[in-house]
Amino acid sequence: MYRQAKYDEPLIFELGKKGRRAHLSPRCDFSRDDIKIPENMKRITPPDLPELHEGEVMRHYVHLSQMNYCVDTNTYPLGSCTMKYNPKVNETIARSEKMMYLHPNQPVETVQGILEVLYDLQMSLGELAGLPHTTLQPPAGASGEYTGLALIKAYHVDNGETQRDEIIAPDSSHGTNPASTVLNGQKLIEIKSNEDGRVDIDALKAAVSDRTAGLMLTNPNTLGIFEKDIIEMSNTVRDAGGLLYYDGANFNAIVGKIRPGDMGYDVLHFNLHKTFATPHGGGGPGSGAVCCNDILEPYLPVPTVNHDMDKDYYYFDYDRPKSIGKVHGYHGNIAVALRAYAYIAALGEIGLKNTSDQAVLTANYAMRKMEKIDGLRLSHTSAIPRKHESVLEATPFLRNHDVSGMDIAKMLISRGLHAPTVYFPLIAHEALMMEPTENENKERIDQYVQVLEEEMDKARKDPDYAHQAPKWTSIGRVDDAYAIRNLTLSWKMMKEKQEE
Amino acid sequence: MGDNYAHPYLANSKKDIDEMLEYLGISSIEELYSDIPDEIRFKGQLKLPHYQSEFELMEAVKKKLSKNITTREVRSFLGGGVLDIYMPAIQDEILRRTEFYSAYTPYQAEASQGTLQSMFEYQSLICELVGMDVANCSLYDWATGVGEAALMASRITKRTKFVYTAAIAPNREDVLKNYVAGANLELEIVPYDETTGKMDIAKTKALLDDTVAGIYIENPNYFGIIEDELDEIIADAHAKGVRVVVGADMNSLALLKPPGEYGADIAIGEGQSIGGGPLNFGGPLLGILAMKYNKKESRQMPGRIVGKTITPNEGEVAYANTLQTREQHIKRERATSNICTNEALVALSCAIHLTLLGPQGYKETAETMYLSAHHVTKELDKIGVKRVFNSEFFNTFTLDLKIPKDKKQEFTQFMLDRKIFPGIPYSFDGENYDYIVTTSYLLCEKDLDDFVKAIGEWRK
Repeated sequence: MYRQAKYDEPLIFELGKKGRRAHLSPRCDFSRDDIKIPENMKRITPPDLPELHEGEVMRHYVHLSQMNYCVDTNTYPLGSCTMKYNPKVNETIARSEKMMYLHPNQPVETVQGILEVLYDLQMSLGELAGLPHTTLQPPAGASGEYTGLALIKAYHVDNGETQRDEIIAPDSSHGTNPASTVLNGQKLIEIKSNEDGRVDIDALKAAVSDRTAGLMLTNPNTLGIFEKDIIEMSNTVRDAGGLLYYDGANFNAIVGKIRPGDMGYDVLHFNLHKTFATPHGGGGPGSGAVCCNDILEPYLPVPTVNHDMDKDYYYFDYDRPKSIGKVHGYHGNIAVALRAYAYIAALGEIGLKNTSDQAVLTANYAMRKMEKIDGLRLSHTSAIPRKHESVLEATPFLRNHDVSGMDIAKMLISRGLHAPTVYFPLIAHEALMMEPTENENKERIDQYVQVLEEEMDKARKDPDYAHQAPKWTSIGRVDDAYAIRNLTLSWKMMKEKQEE
Repeated sequence: MGDNYAHPYLANSKKDIDEMLEYLGISSIEELYSDIPDEIRFKGQLKLPHYQSEFELMEAVKKKLSKNITTREVRSFLGGGVLDIYMPAIQDEILRRTEFYSAYTPYQAEASQGTLQSMFEYQSLICELVGMDVANCSLYDWATGVGEAALMASRITKRTKFVYTAAIAPNREDVLKNYVAGANLELEIVPYDETTGKMDIAKTKALLDDTVAGIYIENPNYFGIIEDELDEIIADAHAKGVRVVVGADMNSLALLKPPGEYGADIAIGEGQSIGGGPLNFGGPLLGILAMKYNKKESRQMPGRIVGKTITPNEGEVAYANTLQTREQHIKRERATSNICTNEALVALSCAIHLTLLGPQGYKETAETMYLSAHHVTKELDKIGVKRVFNSEFFNTFTLDLKIPKDKKQEFTQFMLDRKIFPGIPYSFDGENYDYIVTTSYLLCEKDLDDFVKAIGEWRK
């Protein structure tokens, strides 16, 4: 049985009283009378910050935390999101004083330890990618995509092929792919997937031209299906003068087993918060490390982290005239990179391979059990195994019982199990995208499928039960349209509305 | 490990695996990879470490990191946008709650009210600081914030030129250039007055016209100067339909007028220095972006935004992601930004910190920063060391040291021997280095005096 905590928790601004304090500032040795701010720039009205004592602050956030579902609550099989267990030792390591208190502008000789960690991580990622050059600067997957696409663009421009401004991506791609393409000033050419859910080779052949900058493709794709014709695709793009970008969001399927560099890719990004188990943080921070081959290396963001073997000295190289520039104010999300480094060190080569083995096995096991449920069907084809994730469609259930994929998701949440990713990819209908990861064991998956069956049984008898789900969460189903009609986006806007 | 698979991060034993294989009617996991052409399967050995126990891992990482020298082992006068701060014990206690840090983006609102309400509170706290109505749930950092703000101004005005102050941090300028390259925005730089360090009013006005989407101002600027003559520039910008973007030092806003009160349309900045987290060698950080609410223009904001709503069945207050049709997961190539993963946990951290400080703590820490900096300049003045610019400043000033290029390393070592990180070197002439010095609230009077003494010794 599952009951999420429920509090009528006021906003932090509605708590507390004037004059209370939750924290004392360090002593100041100087007279505050000496503060002289230009008259026209003085702050007159102080910000309306809360005034609470420490214990009340703790209670507020404990209440809020208890109204949150997380990886450590129960199964969290969000497809394409790779919700793994976040090893606790990595949280401890990331809080080392020798990590936290390093300023990015410190002299390089005072940061040799962290540079060594970053350098080693770059080497490990390059090894897994089969692409030897790495930057850790992109702070998220989408930033990594943008960086990789910018490398491709710079390469073509450098070769005098400025007309190559088209990025080809399948209609099954992650939403960030087209968005990053546009941010980079490239044109998106979307190609259709075939009946098997794979890229239609003929469509690809028709799409390439002397305007092709590259193909952006995750493999396995978002249906969890491996693009087995990748070599032919890669040759097609390469023959047309384009390059290949690998979206690493689905890398958990292939760690140590297949290397994008060996498939003909030129550049990829990793999501360290997916494949390497750093926390998702309720939306971030992540890290979008980018690896590339020799031809793209000159364009990597500045600075790169290098190692002088003779002196055993780590340093930043800013002298990179062909670099695309900077994609983050400093060197990226270093504390995230440190966690990923620790994760790789804990698992080693064998462990990492086993990770993908188990992720693929649990995904197929869950999929074959779920596809037997009346009302669900596997998208596209049932004939081939999936990799780390699969997409089931609830279209038969919607047609027969007026209960949608979203309703099914909400019923699962009622039972204390997080829903799969719903309504993605867009080429599937009533999609439930399931990625258990290696963090779920057999009995957890059995339990998940059993609960799913029970809930769908209830919905068959009473569709309204499904429409009103979830129950037992801190709140019932929310009205998204109301939020837009009555836009209230801050405490300030709330106060103004109350005054009206 | 090996074939028996037992590892703390792996859920299934050999027995579980055999049972699942049996269910699938296959004899090995390899069969699930059988559709992959053999020629691309990796069969070699990877150059990766051998797996380690937790104890071995801890020791190994500790040994590597021990080579670092931290801002707590020396006296740090480094700023530039990020700052050494003290995080109260309760703050990390909350951040270590797995309910927060191991949750995903709150797409399923019913099970994610904790994240959603705390993000609404974060947005609200930021609006209080900068004097705006709406903030997003975070960008990556201040630098990417400048880029996003420039693109947003361009979308709003449908203009393709963006003007920015020369008194911008070099790293933020680099990111800005990169961010707007794709959209082909034309960039123009406004010079600052060489004596005051403030934006040149006449030259700025001359650059603004009806082709300019926005103008970016830093206040205090990268050299630490308070821009207190902006009225004319901002009025001129608005008269020409130019959007005003102000990048503010968030600590300074305890003492300085918030951008929303002097005409800024968009405010950006760095949230690390107001509690987003430790320095962490420059990441993760927290990009702040806020604006005045405008029905049309606010829909051009990048990133996630949480709004207040209700549950129709029970009529209860609830929070949910809103205006999602701006975002990549729905709009794909027509999204306002490609951002998906942001810095949510850092935003939560910042919200907790501001709550702990309250109005009084927020003001006191800013006052200490101000007074520490002014104590240093007063003492340096006594020994004849001047600032590059003569204007008012908050906690950052540019020290006129003119250290020749070939002496820079020696100076760094000289200061390090005295346990000081003296500031960020900056060359105005390409030959000699002056130093941009910032005081946090963690330095005591003796630390400040030691800095003055060290500078004095160097000059001898």
